[in-house]
Amino acid sequence: MNNISQRDAFLNKLYGIAKVDRNIVLVSADMGAPALDKIRRDLSSQYVGVGIAEQQAIVLASGLALGGKKVFAYAIAPFITLRCYEQIRIDLAGMNIPVTLVGVGAGFSYEDSGPTHHAVEDLSIMRILPNLRVHTITDSVMAAAFAELSCKAHYPNYVRLDRETLPTIYSEGDDFSSGMARLRDGKELCIVATGNMVHRALDVADELAKHSVDVGVLDVYTLPINDTVFLNTIDNAQKIVTLEEQTLRGGFGSSIIEVLSDNNRFVPIKRFGLDFKTAYCYKYGGRKNIQLLYGLDTQSITNAILDWVK
Amino acid sequence: MILNKIEELEKKAKYIRNQVLDMCCKAGTGHVNSAFSCTEILVALYYADILRYNPQNPDWEERDRFILSKGQASVILYPILADLGFFSEDELNRFNQSDGIFGVHLQHDVPGAEITSGSLGHGFGIATGLALAAKMNMQSHLIFALLGDGECYEGSIWEAAMFASHNRLNNMIAIVDRNHLCVTDFTENIVELEPFAEKWRTFGWRVVTINGHSFEAILGALSGFRSRKFAQPLMIIADTVKGKGINFLCDAPLWHGLAPAGQQAIDAKNELNKDME
Repeated sequence: MNNISQRDAFLNKLYGIAKVDRNIVLVSADMGAPALDKIRRDLSSQYVGVGIAEQQAIVLASGLALGGKKVFAYAIAPFITLRCYEQIRIDLAGMNIPVTLVGVGAGFSYEDSGPTHHAVEDLSIMRILPNLRVHTITDSVMAAAFAELSCKAHYPNYVRLDRETLPTIYSEGDDFSSGMARLRDGKELCIVATGNMVHRALDVADELAKHSVDVGVLDVYTLPINDTVFLNTIDNAQKIVTLEEQTLRGGFGSSIIEVLSDNNRFVPIKRFGLDFKTAYCYKYGGRKNIQLLYGLDTQSITNAILDWVK
Repeated sequence: MILNKIEELEKKAKYIRNQVLDMCCKAGTGHVNSAFSCTEILVALYYADILRYNPQNPDWEERDRFILSKGQASVILYPILADLGFFSEDELNRFNQSDGIFGVHLQHDVPGAEITSGSLGHGFGIATGLALAAKMNMQSHLIFALLGDGECYEGSIWEAAMFASHNRLNNMIAIVDRNHLCVTDFTENIVELEPFAEKWRTFGWRVVTINGHSFEAILGALSGFRSRKFAQPLMIIADTVKGKGINFLCDAPLWHGLAPAGQQAIDAKNELNKDME
């Protein structure tokens, strides 16, 4: 699945499933993509457009699901979460209705579009909703797998897709049920990352290895975290670093701190993400440039970790 | 339970209003006047052979779905569901109590209730999803939704209204309890809703305006409702009085969400039964 976007991998997989399972319905808030157009064209009775109306997308999806349908609601990440948050809270989480929200554009994916299109708080606000699970997708293999897993879910899901076509890490057939995967072993330090930042974590681990720092990398793609699996997976890491393209307040790193604290595991932890005061980014020049501005590039993170561990 | 005569329906409305008042006065809370403006509407739906339901099997697949979008009026629905046998009438005495199964706003796990509702502008949209699912599944049941007029300030109502008419959801019947009153003031003083019927017509709905306290008018508006002669969904604007049945509650803004207490509770009970006789 190299050279295919997470969006296309997800929608192509969903297309194949929906051709067989005619109970699947895709609700779209005026989104366009070739893979989506295929569903609209070939499976028109299973495609519902609501216009640019995300609140309606959620309540409609709720009603369709109560009426027996397996529903996916699809839009740009900040719009399918923040715009219609109360509908998600009361109708999906509150009644535990199994609808899958699919948000394209995790983090700074829409790097050219400014803060209206950045999804830098969605993980924070979605992960706190009871019943709902958040999946931040790492590569296209995982994207396709979650299209399939979501069809079987008995709870609401939010799938965060990155817009960037990222290298493939996983293999078809991998089991994603635990919500996390150890990608690299290392005792001295464990980098825990999610989504786009998993790829950065692997680069940073390579750099740190050159400085003889023994670094593990853990990809946590499902929140809430399975505490038991997480604690077993980090093993006896002496220090933990978290990486995210999110505001640090209440975000991914915070969720890691919560798990450690709740389980009396007091490990020194350093979080990398977006400073609360400057998280709304009005800078451009590509995603890598934006990440550089926030100190989320490989060199900045490597240097900061070296300063911390040495 | 089917009541064929107007007098029987009026008697049932009186009984239900008494149940609401007793329940709310005992608990010291509940939206009494919001319930009293839509009493005849709910009694007509549940007792005049309009809605299809099965108290012994609340999740019966072929039931009509009644969506109480104005969830603050749940205190009118609960006594009706208890009276019909969806759950024990003892539950009304446990309203808002530690051992009870429901509080002020509608919740989906009460037998006979379809959704959780309390924040406004949600249920109506859910109804559009239920209506579309029924069409996709080739099912013949109907979707009813009761909205408050104040609820129609929510933009989500109009997103759903556009969607329903565009998709020809003629298996959907919405009723607005047009009691003209919000929490603090009359709607026309806050932000004008009028021309209200015209707004709905412009959004593609077939609109009927009636006296919402007249059983003849309510049943007349619903005449032949299963035949689906029209492509558009049906909107019934029911002109009502908030607090109907008790004079000091009528059209009194600051009574929103409150239950009478002390001497006022006694006065309310006396007046309700005197006026309705």
